[in-house]
Amino acid sequence: MSNLLAEIESQIKGLKTEVSRSNVGTVREIMDGVAKIEGLTDVAYNEMVEFSNGSIGLALNLEDTEVGAIVLGEFAGIKEGDPVKTTGRLLQVPVGKALLGRVVDPLGNPLDGKGPIKSDTHYPVERVAPGIIKRKSVSQPVQTGIMAIDAMIPIGRGQRELIIGDRATGKTTVAIDTIINQAKLNRAAELSGEKDFRPLYSIYVVIGQKRANLARVLGVLEEQGALPYTIVVAATASDSATAQYIAPFSGAAIGEWFMENGMDALIVFDDLSKHAAAYRQISLILKRPSGREAYPGDVFYLHSRLLERSARLNESSGNGSLTALPIIETQSGDVSAYIPTNVISITDGQIFLETDLFYQGVRPAINVGISVSRVGSAAQIKAMKQVAGKVKLELAQFRELAAFAQFASDLDAATKAKLDRGARIVEVFKQQQYHPVSVELQAAVMWSVQNGQFDDVPVDKIKIVQDKLMEYLTTRKESLLAGIRTKKAIDDALLAELKSALADFKQMGH
Amino acid sequence: MKINREARNAAKKLFLLCRPAGRLDETRVRDVVKSLATARPRNYIAILSRLRKLVALEVQRHSAVVETASPLGAAEAELRSSLQKQFGPALNLQVAVNPELLGGLRVRVGSDVWDGSIRGRLHALEKSFQA
Repeated sequence: MSNLLAEIESQIKGLKTEVSRSNVGTVREIMDGVAKIEGLTDVAYNEMVEFSNGSIGLALNLEDTEVGAIVLGEFAGIKEGDPVKTTGRLLQVPVGKALLGRVVDPLGNPLDGKGPIKSDTHYPVERVAPGIIKRKSVSQPVQTGIMAIDAMIPIGRGQRELIIGDRATGKTTVAIDTIINQAKLNRAAELSGEKDFRPLYSIYVVIGQKRANLARVLGVLEEQGALPYTIVVAATASDSATAQYIAPFSGAAIGEWFMENGMDALIVFDDLSKHAAAYRQISLILKRPSGREAYPGDVFYLHSRLLERSARLNESSGNGSLTALPIIETQSGDVSAYIPTNVISITDGQIFLETDLFYQGVRPAINVGISVSRVGSAAQIKAMKQVAGKVKLELAQFRELAAFAQFASDLDAATKAKLDRGARIVEVFKQQQYHPVSVELQAAVMWSVQNGQFDDVPVDKIKIVQDKLMEYLTTRKESLLAGIRTKKAIDDALLAELKSALADFKQMGH
Repeated sequence: MKINREARNAAKKLFLLCRPAGRLDETRVRDVVKSLATARPRNYIAILSRLRKLVALEVQRHSAVVETASPLGAAEAELRSSLQKQFGPALNLQVAVNPELLGGLRVRVGSDVWDGSIRGRLHALEKSFQA
């Protein structure tokens, strides 16, 4: 059908080469990427305009006698009096599988020197989120490969889970680990030819980050083999504020293509605090009224309309999903600042990372107390529900008792048992970066902890024994893990097998 | 010069008064300017300069600029009448010769441009090769 339309359009174009009509204006002022243009009587809100040096602008303020437009890309060459033309198109980006493995700018132009991107589908950058009828509640898990998250703060496909914390607490690492785990799972399913596996493609949107950091992340993704399943949309600190403002919306448009074509995608916005700052800059230059902390009045709407675009669609709408992991950087742990509270209230839960925990060696430094997932166990497989149901409560009790136990030397047996178990769970949840653990292995290890298999191991040796156990299970008990993976639950047969495997492991002298 | 909102609104009101039935009345504009200059209300300079801007935009909206590659000669009258038929009799028409167009003509009315010049077609061709 679309071919037919394209044919008719090309015919019309062929007939109309005689005279071209365009709507033009003149640049009156240009400052820091924002141009005030006179004329352009036919321009539409959010329409692309073209400057005489070839740069693209976006009409954002339609005023009485002027049009305020932000310039995407080079604005140094634009002078007062230059002509500007409307294009009749809304801002759009190329979408599709051709972008996988590529690094693009917010307009979809390649930045990685791997040649042009062959894509004939374009999506507008600003789109309305899927409606109520098309949606479905979140029910399928996103396996992050991070034990603490998969066990206690499960993330589902179509969920928006905020990653929040101070600088250098491992926010990006959590996101990158998740991307790496998806690539691992996708590749494993491709190799085994599993039919009902739904691959999860990742989009990593860089907003105002240092280029060195981006290069490092790309290096990690490449090294871990995750790049072929990932699209990177980059607006780094040295790109214009306008590019930083557009980047998450472009990324969301790219992700929506996967969602609307019945696939699953994961999008990471790294990070939205810098996005808010970029939008503040643009708004101030456009002379929009400023509000609290000089952010414009629509800074909440800015993020809410962005995050509403991630959704889980129902079967009749293709069954696709777009999961969002926005990242927010706090200043000295203050989650009650303006932008953090906004985004916390928009998302379906948050993972809070803490500096203190990070330096105590608890990495990932997740504060279990105030981290939540409002989707909860709906986004867990049964095996995980069986073993991890009580962990969060146990850890909470441990934290309370640990504070209390500092003053008391005589503890009753029950309290001591709770303290011992808690200390062991904390140890088990420590995990090296870029080493995601598969969900079946997580379930087996969690079962062992819950059933006292680690109780005779000194706390400082837990990590060593855990690593040995995981190696033992992966190398010797592949059938047990495969059983958990395919049945997605620990039934009686698997339980017996797991018990005997653990007994064998103990016999080996650990 | 900074024009505050009060002056802006006053200028807009005066401008609308000068434009009964959607057409700019020149005598009214002159009267308004004269009375502003004599009465000197608060912000009168700001109001005057804003009014000047609004009038300039209005004049531009109703003026046509025709650029041709070579002098039109007798065809000019025909062009004038057909443009006035299209855009109304109040059209303020200017004709200029621009050899850079190579051939054909380019008409600008307000902020709309109709480009039927050879230069414009060459540009379009150049763009289609770049894409």
